[in-house]
Order: sequence, then C-alpha cells, then structure tokens
Amino acid sequence: MSILINQKTRLAVQGITGREASMIVSHTLAYGTQIFAGITPGKGGQHVQGVPVYDTVAEAVKKHDINATLIVVPPAFALDAVLEAISNGIKLIVVTTENIPQHDAVKLLYAARKQNVTIIGPNTVGMINPKDRIKMGSIGGDRPERCFVPGNVGVISRSGGMTAETSWMVKRAGYGVTTSIGIGGDSLIGTTIKDLLVLFEKDDETEAVVTFSEPGTSFEEDVAQLLKEGGFTKPLISFVAGKFTESMPEGTVFGHAGAMISGNTGRPSLKMKALKDSGAHVVEKYDDIISVLQAVLGAKVGEVK
Amino acid sequence: MGRMLENVSKTILKEHGVPVPGHAVISVSEEINAHHLLNPCVLKALVPVGKRGKAGAIKFADNVEDARSKADEILGMTVRNFPVDKVLIEEKIDIDEEWYVSITIDPQKQVPVVIATTEGGVEVEDLVKDSPEKVVIYHVEPFAELQPYQSKEIWSRLGVTGKPLVKATAILCKLYNIFLRYDCYILEINPLVLTRDEKVMAAASVMGVDDSALYRHPELEGKVESGSERSWRPLTQLEKDMVKVNDADYRGTARYTEMDGGEIGFMCGGGGGSLLSFDALISLGASPANYTETGGNPPVEKVTGLTKGILSKEGVKGLFVAHNITNNTQIDVFARGIVKAIEELGVDPAAFPIVVREAGVNDEEGKRIFLEAGITYFGEDLTIEEAAAEMVKKMKGAS
Repeated sequence: MSILINQKTRLAVQGITGREASMIVSHTLAYGTQIFAGITPGKGGQHVQGVPVYDTVAEAVKKHDINATLIVVPPAFALDAVLEAISNGIKLIVVTTENIPQHDAVKLLYAARKQNVTIIGPNTVGMINPKDRIKMGSIGGDRPERCFVPGNVGVISRSGGMTAETSWMVKRAGYGVTTSIGIGGDSLIGTTIKDLLVLFEKDDETEAVVTFSEPGTSFEEDVAQLLKEGGFTKPLISFVAGKFTESMPEGTVFGHAGAMISGNTGRPSLKMKALKDSGAHVVEKYDDIISVLQAVLGAKVGEVK
Repeated sequence: MGRMLENVSKTILKEHGVPVPGHAVISVSEEINAHHLLNPCVLKALVPVGKRGKAGAIKFADNVEDARSKADEILGMTVRNFPVDKVLIEEKIDIDEEWYVSITIDPQKQVPVVIATTEGGVEVEDLVKDSPEKVVIYHVEPFAELQPYQSKEIWSRLGVTGKPLVKATAILCKLYNIFLRYDCYILEINPLVLTRDEKVMAAASVMGVDDSALYRHPELEGKVESGSERSWRPLTQLEKDMVKVNDADYRGTARYTEMDGGEIGFMCGGGGGSLLSFDALISLGASPANYTETGGNPPVEKVTGLTKGILSKEGVKGLFVAHNITNNTQIDVFARGIVKAIEELGVDPAAFPIVVREAGVNDEEGKRIFLEAGITYFGEDLTIEEAAAEMVKKMKGAS
C-alpha cells in the first residue's frame, strides 16, 4: 500500500494549458500515471497531450469521477482553483503554486479544513507512489526511478529537492519507498509531518519513515508529542537541516519562506532535542540516514508481520 | 515580506480614519523649526526595525534647539545595523493609558488573530506568559471582516467602557480592514494610546506587507522594501548587485547573502539542499564566504552572473557547487553558466579549488561540460556531505 495516492486515484490537473503544467504533464504521463482531465477556463474542448480539457472542475468530475487534483496555476488564481475543487467534492488537492499571498493561503486552508479536504502544499513538489507508478506534481522530473523505487519506507520533506535526495538515500541504503511527499516550503501549509505520520502508521507496508526538516514552525515539536502519545509507533529517522542559522542574527531567513526562527520557535537544536526525547532516531549527519535505516530495518528481518 | 517605515504606515492609518499624531520627516536637524514645536515633540529614528526605544533612538524635546541637538544624536546612530538617515518628528501626545493591539496570522491555527491588552508598554509575549488574563487573543474567520460587536467584546473583556470603548471599537474595526485591504502579515499598534481627553490614538505603528501580494497593490510601489524582513541589516553593495542579476530574468530564483569573511564561494541549490550543504561545510570546520541558493531553472546568464558575483568577494579561495538531485533544474544549463563565469574571469580550476556535486535533469551533458572545463565533478557517486568533504580536502591541498 501507500498513503494518499494509489490505483484508485483519478487525477485532474487544474491549469493544464500553462507552460509549467506542460512539462509536469508530459513527465507524469511518461511515468505511467493516468491524467483523466485538465481544467483551464476558456480552453474547454481542447486536448493537452491527449488529455481532455474542460472549462470547469464540475464537468471534469461529472465525466471522469475525478477524486484528486493537481493545481498548477499562477498565484493570483490559486485560491479560486482550490475553492472550485473543494466545492466539487474533491478530497485530495496538491497545490504546486509558489508565492501565493498569505491571506489567500489562509482562506484556502480554512475552506479545506471545514470540508475535511487534504491539501498538500502550497509550494510543493508533490508526492509519488512508485509501486503504482502514480505521481502528483513535478516530483521525480523526467526520471523518477533515479530516486524513487518501490519499498517499505515513507519519506516526508519540507523541501522538494530533498524529497528526491532523501528517497535516493533510502535507495542507496538498499531500500525503497511506499510514498514520498514534499509538504511544501511555505509557512502556511495544509498537511504537516505529523498528519502524514498518522497515515503512515496505518499503512501496513510502511515499516519506517525518514523525515527531512528545516528551521521554522513547530512541526517537529508536534511530531514529538504524537510519538509520546503513541500515535506513531514505527521507527522514525529524522534529520533537521539549517543548524548554522541559529548562530545568525534573528529575523534572517535562509531557504524557504517558512524557515523563520523567532525566539525559541523553529530552532533546529530544540527540534532535534524534542524528537530525540520522544524516541525518534535523530541523525546529526545526513549521511547517517543510511546506516541508521539499515540498522533499524535490518533488525526487523525475520520479524513476523 | 516587506516592512514599511513608520511615516508611511501612519499615513495609511490616517487615510483610513485611524487617529495618529501629527508627524513630519527630516534628514537634517536644521529642518526642524518652531512649527514642529507648537507642542513638545518626540523624535524617532526612521528605520525598518523595532525596539528603537531600547536602542536609545527615541527622544523627547520641548524646544527647537533641544529638538535639533537630539535629532543630530539620532542621525549619527546605527540602530540594529541600520544607519539612521531620517528622523520622524511627532507631536507628543498627552497619554493617560498605553494599550496594545496587533493583527497577525496565527501560524498554528492558520487564521488571522487579534491580540489586545490595555497593559501597554511591556513585551506582550511576556504578558501572555505571565498574566494571560490581561490579554485577549481573538481569532477571526478568514472570509469575514471583524464585526463591530466582536471588536467591542475584545475591549470590553479588557475592562474598557464608556466613550473610550466606543472609540476603540471603531478603531480596531478600521485596523482590521487595513490589515485585509493591504495584505498585511502584521499590523501592530504599540502603544495604542488613550489620551487624557479620552481620545484613542495610534502612537506607534508597525505594518508589514506580504510581498507575494504586492502585485495587487500598485499603490504601495516604492513604499515597501520587498524582502526586507529576510535580512538583519541593510543589503551590501554586492547583495544589491546580485538582486539585479536575479531580477534581470524571471526564470529561476537566486538569493545571495554575504557572510563576514569566509573562504569558500557557495553556489548551491534547493531550499533544503543549500541548508544541508552549508551545515556540512561548517561541521567540517570550513568557512563559506556567502550563502547562495538557487531554485527553478535559471538561464545561463543568471548562473554566470551569480557565479561571478560570488567569486568577486574578497578572500574567496574556492568554489563549492552543489544541489540535491534535481526534479526540474537542468544541470547542463547550470554547468554552462558556471563554466562561462570561470572562463570569463580567467579562473584556472587546476589552481583554484572547485568541487561540483550536481545530479538530476540532463546531468550527462552537465557532467561533460564540467569535466571538459577541468572541474572536479561528482554526480550520484557521492552524497552532498561527501562532496563537501572533498571540497574541504581540496582547500587544504591548495593552501
């Protein structure tokens, strides 16, 4: 199994006729993921690389039973695109758009929470399930196999690039992934590390999870709380990047918009301590992911599932 | 994120019906005249950072001579790395009580939040911790405005009554509308003042506008320094030059931040990958001269411009180029940009340490370009940390 996306996923792409979307669509189709419909207002009736385009999400849902949508529209249109998807009953939305105004992000996230809709992102590379060859987003680029091979490890990363690199480390260690997810680099995002760990806990095939974190937010502190409460019982291997930022003057942001340290909130050292205290395998060096993963998963060999 | 100077935010407040003290901006003390001193005045350093009072950059005066000499003192100061070249001169108001109100976005609950207290003049974070009963924290539904009854409840819970309650209610609704209208990520009034004649007035204001939303506020052009919240000091000349390199082409993004000193030019990519690469160099005892992070697909000219800038900093004795395995950044384009820069600068990779770790889209071609130029190249054969170790080794060999 995997989390969030599988063979039952019936994917649409909102903004399919744009420049950014055209590359994502061609890589996605080449990977073997089916795209059932595209939506661009005013372009209904056209086809993009064989995918039928509709003016509205309502038409796409009616004709193709769409249950997941990838949003690849410019920042000014992202809020409306998400609201349209939500109002048409779609429960899984991946928002790739970067630089969405915060007030719009607040609205779209609020609307999603009210309707129990899962939003991945904004500002995300997306996610991939290599066993079913399903991907949503630019994740994997033209050669997803380079980093993402099927296996039993879940990967969660704040950074899109490091979603790939971390999955590649899993591969280098001799394993593969059930699902790899980039949660997005903004300060306001729909699905946090903790939310995904809850899903990975329920997924039989996932035997361990590797996370890549950055400065900013309280995501890791929330994860620590989840671990303490017994909400995630599988091995968790965590790396927190950006330790050098703690010695820089406060108020400086390196990396993603969400990577802001304010007082004690967002400090990598405190995140690492909270994770360690709650039983996670916190690696000081990123390369240690490989040996820790081998130790953790090696110990499970022969264990009855 | 971009902050506004206080005179700009106060002008906006005034335009929207929020009472503020009369104010003017001066750059030399001689500009101060009797007209400014009809009442005693307050002089404030006009810099885009807070805690000016603590820095001694807020002073009071009650005659022209005194005001001029105090303005001179402030004009000679540097407040939290920002040299003061302008002073805000305001009429001093007759304060009875100092209150506090801010509107921001609660990162946990992901909705706008109003924080108010009538115990002004203190650090509100401390007050929330020590005396939470004295602070009202009020979350607002994102699709709505703040209704007058909600505003009234906030102040009423803090014990405000009578005429001040009516005034404070109206002012908070206006502030909330400004917060929405201008896509603020912060609008803070500290203090919000109750005067002895029962007026409510915004004595000091901090207004920050989301730079992702500036496209829908052409009226703010030139009033907000885009990205100003990302740096702890004014941009250096080289940093300004690099902003120009980035702005010259919309494709790909790049940010350059100068470090104090340092030997290794740092040209890395990916929000997370750059953090990891920088940490790796530091943990090996190396000292990067800058932090540069690229994203997306910058064209050759942009990569060349950035690389040249990085190498132009004094004391740079090597170059580390690394990315996470890319999902869409084209390695061949990156390679062309870097090779072009070192060729134009006459840098010899045999003598000047350069280590590249680039894998991902079009990396076969990228590898060929790097190797042909005589640059030490690694792809998927090394991790980022292993490549950083190679860089450090090479630096030691060179010195």
